[in-house]
Amino acid sequence: MPYTFRGGIHVDEHKNTKKSQIRRMPAPAEVFIPMNQHIGVPCKPVVAVGETVARGQVIGVVEAGLGCPVHASVSGVVKEILVKHDAQGRDLQTIVIENDGLNTLCPDIKPFEKALTETSAEEIVEVIRAAGLCGMGGAGFPSYMKLQGAIGKADKLIINGAECEPFLSADHRLLLENPAAVINGAKILLKALAITDAVIAVEDNKLDAANKLEELLVDDDMIKVRVLKTKYPQGDERQLIYVLTGKQLQAGQLPADAGCVIFNVETCAAIYNAFAHGMPIIERTVTVDGDAVAMPKNVLVPIGTRLSDVIEFCGGFKKEPAKIVNGGPMMGRAVHDLNAPVTKTTAGILAFSAKFAKTRSEHYQCIRCGKCVEACPMHLMPLYLASFGRKDDLDQCMEYDIMSCVECGCCTYTCPGQVPIVQQIQIAKGKIREKQAAEKAAQKEAKK
Amino acid sequence: MTNKQSLLTVSASPHLHSPVTTTTIMSDVLIALTPALIWACYVFGMRSLYITLVCVASCIGFEWLYEFILKKPFTITDLSAAVTGVLLAFNLPVTIPMWMPVAGSFFAIVIVKQLFGGIGRNVLNPALAARVFMFSWPSDMNHFVTPVKDRYHGFLLPKAEEGMDAVSAATPLSYLKEGRIPADAENGYTTLDLFIGNVPGVIGEVSALLLTIGFIYLLIRKVTTWHIPVAFIGTVALLTLVFPKGTAAVPFMWNQLFSGGLFLGAMFMANDYATSPVTGNGKLLYGVGCGLITVFIRYFGSGAEGVSYSILVMNLLVFYIDRLTKPVRFGGKKHAKQ
Repeated sequence: MPYTFRGGIHVDEHKNTKKSQIRRMPAPAEVFIPMNQHIGVPCKPVVAVGETVARGQVIGVVEAGLGCPVHASVSGVVKEILVKHDAQGRDLQTIVIENDGLNTLCPDIKPFEKALTETSAEEIVEVIRAAGLCGMGGAGFPSYMKLQGAIGKADKLIINGAECEPFLSADHRLLLENPAAVINGAKILLKALAITDAVIAVEDNKLDAANKLEELLVDDDMIKVRVLKTKYPQGDERQLIYVLTGKQLQAGQLPADAGCVIFNVETCAAIYNAFAHGMPIIERTVTVDGDAVAMPKNVLVPIGTRLSDVIEFCGGFKKEPAKIVNGGPMMGRAVHDLNAPVTKTTAGILAFSAKFAKTRSEHYQCIRCGKCVEACPMHLMPLYLASFGRKDDLDQCMEYDIMSCVECGCCTYTCPGQVPIVQQIQIAKGKIREKQAAEKAAQKEAKK
Repeated sequence: MTNKQSLLTVSASPHLHSPVTTTTIMSDVLIALTPALIWACYVFGMRSLYITLVCVASCIGFEWLYEFILKKPFTITDLSAAVTGVLLAFNLPVTIPMWMPVAGSFFAIVIVKQLFGGIGRNVLNPALAARVFMFSWPSDMNHFVTPVKDRYHGFLLPKAEEGMDAVSAATPLSYLKEGRIPADAENGYTTLDLFIGNVPGVIGEVSALLLTIGFIYLLIRKVTTWHIPVAFIGTVALLTLVFPKGTAAVPFMWNQLFSGGLFLGAMFMANDYATSPVTGNGKLLYGVGCGLITVFIRYFGSGAEGVSYSILVMNLLVFYIDRLTKPVRFGGKKHAKQ
C-alpha cells in the first residue's frame, strides 16, 4: 500500500505550537454566534432579545431542510440579534449574548442514557445532529448528513489526523491529550455504520501521537493507526483515500463511492462528548500562531468569541500584524476585520507581520519550469490551466481537466514566477460553472 | 488594535510561498556555468571572460532598453538575460570579433525573446537562435584555435588578423565525420582530452567534465531534472554505438559524446525551461528527438555539428509534446473502472 501520493509539496512545517498544551480561555464578555456556520440551511433564532440563556441551550434551529442547530456558548442575556460579517466576509444573522459570568449549564445537557450496543444508527445520527456537529477540519460539512449518507455504503471509516497544513497543531495536541475521546468517537461511528474497519491516519511528524494511539489500541482489532508521510495536502480526502485504500476518486465522486467515510479527529472527539456528556459543540480548539502573536498556543475557544479576544488571550501582538488568516496558511482565508467571531470551522488564527505577509509581485511571469506540474496532487498541468484561464479559453480549460482541480494551492506555493495560478484557475472554474448553469437554463427553456 | 484594522492585507490563499524564485533559479544556473567558464579562461585565454562579459552586458542592456522604450516592467533582475548572455558566449569561438557578441545578443534578446512576449514565452532558445543567426558570418564562427597553446588574453584580437589562419585547428568532430577517431590523427586528441576539455571548440562546450559537475549542482538544487540530458545523450550514445562509422564502435561512441556541444546542449540549452516540455514523459520524448536529429546531422549533414539545430527543431514541437504527454489526471482513465 502506498505511503504517500504523487505530487504535493514539502512546506516548512512551522509547528511551533505542537508542545503547547490546549488551554481553555475564559469566556469573553460578549459572544457573537452566527446562524450559518457551515454548509446547510441557515438557522432561525429561537430566542428573543432580553431572554436569559444557559450554556449549551439551543438558540437557533433549522426549520426546513438540511442543517443542524446552534447553541449558546456562554450563559447570559441575549443582547442583540443583528447582521454581522463573519471571518469570510459574509453578512450573517448573528446572536449577541452578554456573558453573565455564571456559567450556568443548560438543564437539557445530560449524557446519552442507553448503552452503545443497544443504540440504533438513527439514534446516533440524531444525537450528532442535535449536538450541531460539523466537520471541524475546516470544510464544515454537517456530520450527521455525512454519516447518514455513508450508512450501508462505506465499509471503511477514516479518522483524519493528518493535519497537513503548516502551523496548525490542534489535532496533534488533541491526539496526545485526549486520545480516548477520539477512539471512543470512532467506536460510536463504527456502530452507526455497522462496520468493523477504522483507520486513524496521522502524518509522520506526529509519531508521539501515533505511538500513544497504538498503545491504547493494542487490544483493539477494529481501529488501526496508519502513519503517513508528512506532505501537503496529505489531509485532502482524495489523497487520504488513495493512500489508505489505493483507490482514486474520480472528479465528482464522493468518499462513499470508494467505500470510505472520513471524519476529522476533533469532530470524532466531539461526537464522543455529545454522547458521554450530552455536550453540543459550543467550543473548539484553535491554534493561534504566526510571527506577530506574542504567545502562540492552542486555545479552547467558546464559539462566537471575537478573533481579537482570542489574540488578546495569547498576549496580543508583538509585531504589527499585516495579515490575519482564518484557518491554515495554505487554504485559510485572510480576514479584514478582527471583530469576526470564531465559528465551528475555525481551526487556526494566524497573524503575520509584514515580512511574512508580503504580497507577491503584480508582474508575474510563467517561466514554464514545470514545478507546478510536478507539485499537482491531481496530476494536472496548472500552468496551462492558468494560461487558458487568463485568455478565457474555457474549452481548452475543460480539455485540460480544470474541474478536477481541488484548489490546494501547491502550484501557487511552488511557482518561482509568482503566478497566482490557483486564483486564476478558481476564476476560470467560476466562469465555467456560470456557463454550464446558463446552458442548462437555456435547455430547460427550449424544452418548454 | 481597532484602529489598525484597515491596514490588514487581504489576499487569496495560499499565504505561504516557496523561497525559490526566478532570480534564485537563474543565479543557480550562473553558478553551474562558472566552472566551464574558468576552464575556458585557462584553455583559450582571458578573452573568453571578456566575450562572456560583453554578451552578458549587452543582453541585459538590450532587455532594459527594450522594456524602457516600450514602457514595460523591468525584468533584468530575474537574471534570465544574464543566463542567455553566458550561454551565447559559450557558443562562440574565442577569436570572434567583439561586435559580433553584441549583434548576437540583440538578436537573442530582442528578436527571439522579447518580441515573442519575454521570459517564458519565447518559442526558440534565444542563445541558440542567435548562434544560428551569427552563422551568417561563417568564417568568424568556425574559426577554432589549438587549446592551451594559442591563448588570447587581450580584449581585442591581435592586429595580425591574417596570421590567424595558420593557427586554425580542426575540431574532433571533423575527424569523426570521416569515421576516424581523433586520437588516431596527427597531433590528435585522446578521449580523455575530450572529456576534460583540452580540445579546440567554442568557449563553453569543450569540458564535458565541468559541464557535468555544473549540471549535478543544478540537480541537487532541484533547478532541473535528469530527463532531457539522459534521453538526449543516451540516444546519441545508443545510435553511435549501434551504427558506428568505422570499426571501433565503443571509442567512436565515447568520442561522439564528448565532442562538440552535446554536453552543453543537453545539460544547459535543451532543458531551458521556456523551450522544453513540462511533463516527465514529454521531456524524455523531446530528449530522444534531440538525440536523433543530432546524430542525423552529424552523420548526413553538411556540417560537422548538429546539436544546436536539433534543439531548435525540437523547440518548435514543445507545445505539441506537452499536449501529447498530458498526465492522466488523478482518478482518470486508469482508475475509472474501480
